[in-house]
Amino acid sequence: MSQQPLTLPAADTRAGAPRRRRLLEIAGAAAIAATNVFLVLNQPADIANGPASFSALVALGGFLLGAVLLLAAVLPVLPTSTLVLMPVAIVLNVVLGQLMGSTGLPFYLDAIGTVLIAVLAGPAAGAATGVLGSIVWSFFNPTVLPFAAGAALIGFLAGLAARAGLFRRFYFAPVAGFLTGVLAGVVSAPIAAFVFGGTAGLGTGAIVSAFRAMGDTLLAAITKQALISDPMDKAIVFTIAALLAYALPRRTTFQFAFVRRFRVLAGKVPADPAA
Amino acid sequence: MSLHPLTALTAACCAAVVTTAAASWQLSVAVALAAALLAARAGVAARVLAAAGVILAPLFLSLLVLHGLFFLEGHTVLAQWGPARVTAEGLGFALELGTRTAACVLLLLLFSFTVSVPDLVTALAARRIPPQLSFVLASTLILVPAMAGRLEKIRQAQEARGLVVGRGPLSRLAAARLQAVPLVLGLVEDAGLRAQALDARGFGLPGPRTSYRQLQDPPAQRIFRAAALLLAAAAVVLRLMTAWPTAVPS
Repeated sequence: MSQQPLTLPAADTRAGAPRRRRLLEIAGAAAIAATNVFLVLNQPADIANGPASFSALVALGGFLLGAVLLLAAVLPVLPTSTLVLMPVAIVLNVVLGQLMGSTGLPFYLDAIGTVLIAVLAGPAAGAATGVLGSIVWSFFNPTVLPFAAGAALIGFLAGLAARAGLFRRFYFAPVAGFLTGVLAGVVSAPIAAFVFGGTAGLGTGAIVSAFRAMGDTLLAAITKQALISDPMDKAIVFTIAALLAYALPRRTTFQFAFVRRFRVLAGKVPADPAA
Repeated sequence: MSLHPLTALTAACCAAVVTTAAASWQLSVAVALAAALLAARAGVAARVLAAAGVILAPLFLSLLVLHGLFFLEGHTVLAQWGPARVTAEGLGFALELGTRTAACVLLLLLFSFTVSVPDLVTALAARRIPPQLSFVLASTLILVPAMAGRLEKIRQAQEARGLVVGRGPLSRLAAARLQAVPLVLGLVEDAGLRAQALDARGFGLPGPRTSYRQLQDPPAQRIFRAAALLLAAAAVVLRLMTAWPTAVPS
């Protein structure tokens, strides 16, 4: 059985490297936030003035730059035990999304793996999984690539919620998911509005049309639609991820240094068999 | 002559950027047709078009309903039913965004369905991209087909133990749980074993990596990549310069 070290692994020991990583993280988050603010402030003038390609370029450039900076900051310091989980989480995003889709629930549920890895391995791993998952998935569906920043945000917030202990009780997980969904909806709405000009689903498209008919701008209509569907979706995703984490044996979950250190899941830490 | 993976990636991305920046539906249609023709020449036309169709059909319908009927900024009204108005501007907007997305999706699918993943990983490793990125990329793409087989085995095993999927949502949910938990547990266990094996081989250590594979990178392709990047950058700058005064009210 694999035996993980109890301490967090030492990060890069070269002088200045942690500081550079911290700067990269801040720059990435700033790029995403600045792009969002810029797009929200400038959107009324744009759609009436013909081609939306200006906003599309700004949105694509800003969000992808932020996602790549975050990835460059986080990826080199992740321990191998977390890294090998990331392909698993990305595949689970797809497979569990399809499995849940077969139950007939009208939600995307495409972030279960990301939230699960954030619960087990922390916010940095969650954010990196979100970005990498978008990159890998874009091999089959290129339209998910622009949403990489939103996926990173979901993983990061899920990790923060786990660290704060919101996954110790099953009834806190949907609350954390709801709040994450609000933020994720706000970040992903400009992408849907300016890069694709609408949403990919017919159901969501109908909701957007209803808001447009009431006189909203395109961005406002899509943001309202995202604020209706995303929090519900993420509340369900967080609940499923929490139930999966509870269903895993403690021998498995307590291998993860993050779970042991922040007591992410309820229950006593089992005695270390190696001690 | 074989195309270096980075050359193909650069060509696809730069063409997508230029198409987005140009914002002309005629160019978008031309690019989409060119991508489809190239896919046919590479022998992947059926797969590319099927994948693109699944992605684009709902988007097209959604755009048509949304902008075709409810485009408040439009002036040229073609037809009107109650609150819904068909405007020429709305249809133009839907056409422009739909063709643009179609062109970009076809270009990137053409790349991903023709690229050899081992070659791409080798090319990335040679560019001082963190090896972790290549590992996750290659590992996921290998894991996807393996996962389908694994899920099938789990389903058969649970059916042998009496799993019957009923009609009701609760029964379906219970069935999903009975399949999801063994799947996740098995994968997490496997990942732990793989981490040990990788660590024993020095995966986590810093330093340069060597590769068994050697890729040819002819000078002509390097020049092509530099030229394509310059062209894309010029297109973006040009679009930002021309759109800035109207887009930013000051």
